[in-house]
Amino acid sequence: MAFLIRTIDFTAAGRELIRDRVVEQDSLTIGRAAENDIHLPDLAVEQHHVRIVAQADGTLGVEALGTLGFGLDGRVVNQGVIDPRTGGEIALGAARLAVARESDGHTSITIRQVAAEEGKGDALRGFALASVLPSKRAMSWLFAGAILLALLMVPVASHLLRTPVKNDPEGKTPGQVVMDAAWSTGALSLKHHSLEDNCESCHVAAFESVADETCISCHKETGDHAAMPRLAKGMAPLSTGDALQWRIATSLGKEGPLGCVSCHSEHEGKVRQKPASEAFCADCHDALDTRLTDTALGNAHDFGKEHPQFRPAFYASFGAARPVRASLDSKPIERSGLKFPHDVHMDARGGAARMALSLPQYGAPLECKDCHSLDADRIGFKEVKMEDACEGCHSLVSGRSAGGGFSKLRHGDVKDLAEDLARVGTGPRADLSAGRSRPGQFARGGAYAADFGRPVRAYIGLSNALSPGGICTECHLPARGPTGQADLVPVNLPDRFLTTGFFSHEAHKREECTDCHAADTSKAATDLLIPDLKSCRDCHLGASAVKTKKIVPSECAMCHAYHLPSGQWSPQGNAPHYTPAPPPASKPGGAKTVVAAIAGKARK
Amino acid sequence: MASRAQGGARNRFSQDERRRDSDHVSFLKHKGFRWLWIALALCGVTIAGYLLIDQEPRPNGGSWYGYTLGTIGFALIIWLSLLGVRKRRITTGAWSLKAWTSAHVYLGLSLIVVGTLHTGFQIGWNVHTLAYVLMLLVIITGIYGVVVYATLPASLSANRKEMTRAQMLEALTAIDRQLESAAQPLGRAEADMVIAALEQDVFAGGALARLTGRYPRCATARALAGMSNGSEAAARVVALLEKRRDQLAQIRGQLRIRALLEIWLFVHVPLTIALIAALTAHVVSVFFYW
Repeated sequence: MAFLIRTIDFTAAGRELIRDRVVEQDSLTIGRAAENDIHLPDLAVEQHHVRIVAQADGTLGVEALGTLGFGLDGRVVNQGVIDPRTGGEIALGAARLAVARESDGHTSITIRQVAAEEGKGDALRGFALASVLPSKRAMSWLFAGAILLALLMVPVASHLLRTPVKNDPEGKTPGQVVMDAAWSTGALSLKHHSLEDNCESCHVAAFESVADETCISCHKETGDHAAMPRLAKGMAPLSTGDALQWRIATSLGKEGPLGCVSCHSEHEGKVRQKPASEAFCADCHDALDTRLTDTALGNAHDFGKEHPQFRPAFYASFGAARPVRASLDSKPIERSGLKFPHDVHMDARGGAARMALSLPQYGAPLECKDCHSLDADRIGFKEVKMEDACEGCHSLVSGRSAGGGFSKLRHGDVKDLAEDLARVGTGPRADLSAGRSRPGQFARGGAYAADFGRPVRAYIGLSNALSPGGICTECHLPARGPTGQADLVPVNLPDRFLTTGFFSHEAHKREECTDCHAADTSKAATDLLIPDLKSCRDCHLGASAVKTKKIVPSECAMCHAYHLPSGQWSPQGNAPHYTPAPPPASKPGGAKTVVAAIAGKARK
Repeated sequence: MASRAQGGARNRFSQDERRRDSDHVSFLKHKGFRWLWIALALCGVTIAGYLLIDQEPRPNGGSWYGYTLGTIGFALIIWLSLLGVRKRRITTGAWSLKAWTSAHVYLGLSLIVVGTLHTGFQIGWNVHTLAYVLMLLVIITGIYGVVVYATLPASLSANRKEMTRAQMLEALTAIDRQLESAAQPLGRAEADMVIAALEQDVFAGGALARLTGRYPRCATARALAGMSNGSEAAARVVALLEKRRDQLAQIRGQLRIRALLEIWLFVHVPLTIALIAALTAHVVSVFFYW
C-alpha cells in the first residue's frame, strides 16, 4: 500500500509550496515527534497522536494513540474509518489532513495549515433567529410609536388646538377633532347618532366629564322629575362601591348620580335608548315616605304588589277654575256641569237606540265610538263636540233659511243663542195681499222698508230655552248670571283624567270599553267612569310577574315617564320626549320647572 | 459531637434542598404551584364579583367595579412587562428570577379573566379593544412560549448528536474543503453547481424557511439533483454532496427548533411594548373624553 503525502505550505511572500513524497507502508503514524511518518510541529499535537492503518476492504482505520482525540470530518473522535473513495478530513491542531483516492490508485494525504478562525463566534450567531428577523427593539419602537401617534397624539393635539363652536342641536356640524373615532367605546343611540363624528359636542373640555349644562344646551325643554334637593333626599342610599366611585368622581368634577349621564349612558349601540327598569324607579319610590317624609306620593315598587290607588283629575264643583285629584277609593263625584246618563244612551232597546236606528248616520243602536274618538297619539280621546256627537238627535234647528235649508241655533255661547233666537221671529215681511207691494220708500229695497220681529217673543224664547224644561236643560244645568239673567253652568271636563300616567287605548283595542268603564250602568254624569287599580291588575302585574296568556308583566315605564312634561316611552312611534297636553298645576305658579332652571339654582 | 455532626448534616441537607429547588424545579412548579393558586384565586374573586355585583345599566368598564378591574389589569400588565428589566438584574432570595417568572406566567394567564371582565364583553373597532386584543395576543404568544420551552429543548438536544454548534459548522467546512478538491476533475456545468453549493451561506433562507425547515433554493440539493453519476470523480462528489446535505440537515434542524423556540419572543416583546402604548392611549382617551 502506498500513500502519497502532499504538504502544502506558504512562503512568507504568500507563494504556495507543494511537496509530494510517496510512502510505501500499510500504516502511518502522525505526531509531533520527528520519527513519525507525518511530522506536525504543532504544540497542540501529541508526540504520537494518530495511526492510520490500511484495512483489507480498502478503507483506512484511524485511531488515536493517546487519550487525546482528533477531528474527523469536524467531529472529535478517538477512532474512525475513512473510505478514500469518498474521502475524509482529519484535524490535528492547525493542520488539516485531507484523505482521498488519486486516479493512479494511490491514497493521497494532503496536509495544509488553516488560519485560526477569528470569526467563529460571529458564525455561531447565525443560529439565533434574531439573525433573520428585525430586532425586537426596532419593532417595539415602531408599533408603540405608531399607536401613540395615531391614537393619542393626533386626537389630543387637534382637540387642544381647535376653536370651540356653539353646539348645534340639529347635529349637522361636523366635528373638528381628527381621529378621535377610535376613542369611541360604541355607537351612539339613534337620537344622538348624528353626533357620531362630533365627539367634542358633548366632550367639550379635556379631562372634564360630560356636563348637564352641555346636554341642556340642546334639550332645553326637558323637564325634571322633581326639584333637585328633593330628588337627592328621596334617593335610596348608594352601595359602598357606588358611593366611593361617586365621591371620587364628584371630587374630580363629574356630575353626581343625579346628573344626566348617570342614567342616560351613551355609546351602547345604535339603538333607541331603553326605558328605565322597574328597579330604577323602585330604588327611590319603594319606601319613599321614609326618606321624603312630606311627600304626597304613595310608595310604589311593583304594580302588582304595591302601587297607590289612581287619583284622577276631575272638577269636583260646578264651574271650578281647576280640576282636583282624588283617590278612586273615595268614590269621587264629578261636577262637569252636564247631564248625561250613559245608560240611557247605551241601552240597545231604549229610546236612544230606536232614534239612532232611524237615522242614516247611525243605522244601529249607539256605540261608544259614535261619540268618543281616539286622539292622534292613540292614548286619549278627542273632546266630544256637541255638533258632531249629540246634534244628530238633539237638534238645534230653528226654522227654514231663505235658501230652502234649515237655520240652526249656534251652540257653545249663550250670547250666540240669544242672537239666533232673536232672529227666529224676523224675516221678510209677508206682502199684505197678492200682487201688491207697499208704496214708495216703504217698498222692499226702499229707505223705509224694514223687517221687524217681535221682541217679547224672542226674549221669552231665550228664557224658556234656558229655564228648567227648556231645550238647553236637556243636557245643561240652568244657572243665573251675575245680573240675575238666565244662564247655564259652564261645562268642565279635564283634558286628561290620569295626569301622571299614560294609558294607551290603542294597546287595549281588543277589549270592550265596558269591560273597564262601567258606562252601561251609569245613570248620571256625576259618575267618574275611570277604572280603578284593581281592574287593571286583572291583567297587569309588576315586572317580576310571570307572563301568561292573561298576565302582562308591567314595568313602571309602561305607564309612566320620568321627565315632566314628557310623553310615554314606546318601542315605536313618537320619540320619548314629545310633549303631551300639560298636566293641571296643583297650585298656581307651582308648575314644574325645567331642568335648566333647577340645575341653574342648584349650581348657585 | 455526634449531635453537632447530625445538625450539620441536616443543615447541609436543607441547604442542598434549597439549591436543588432553585436549580432543578421548573418555574411552573415553583413552591408547589404557589402562583398558580394565587392566580386562580384572583380569577375566582373577580368572576364572583362580576356575577354578584349588580352594575346599572349593564356591566361596563366605567362602573366602579369596571374601574377596579381595569386598575388591577393595568398594574398587572406594567408589572408583567418588568420581567424584561428584572431578568437582567441578577439577585437571589424570595424574589428570585424563578419566582418572578412563575408569577409572570400565572398572573399573566389570569389577565385573560381580569381583562375580559373589564371589557364587560363590549367589543368594537376602537383603541380600547385594540389594547384588549394586543393583551390577548401577548398572552397567547406567552402560552406558546411556555409550551415550547417545556417540550422543544429535548428535541434540540437529540438533534445535536453530541456535537456543538461550532463542530457542526466545522464539519461542514471540512466537507467543503474535500468537495473543492474532489470536484477538480468535473466539467464546467457541474463545477458551477458545486461552486454554487459551496458559496451558499449555511444560514441562507429567511425566517419562514427556518420555521418550516423547507429550503426550496438550497444549492446543495440542486447540485445533487443535477450531478451525473458517470465518472468516479463525479461519484465521489455526489458522495460528498450527500454528506454535505446531511450535515446541512442537522444544522437546519437545529435552526428550526431554535426558531420555534425563539419566534414567540419576536411577537411577545414588541406587542408588549405596543400594548403599553395602546394601554396609555386607552386610559388617557377614557379620561380625556370622560
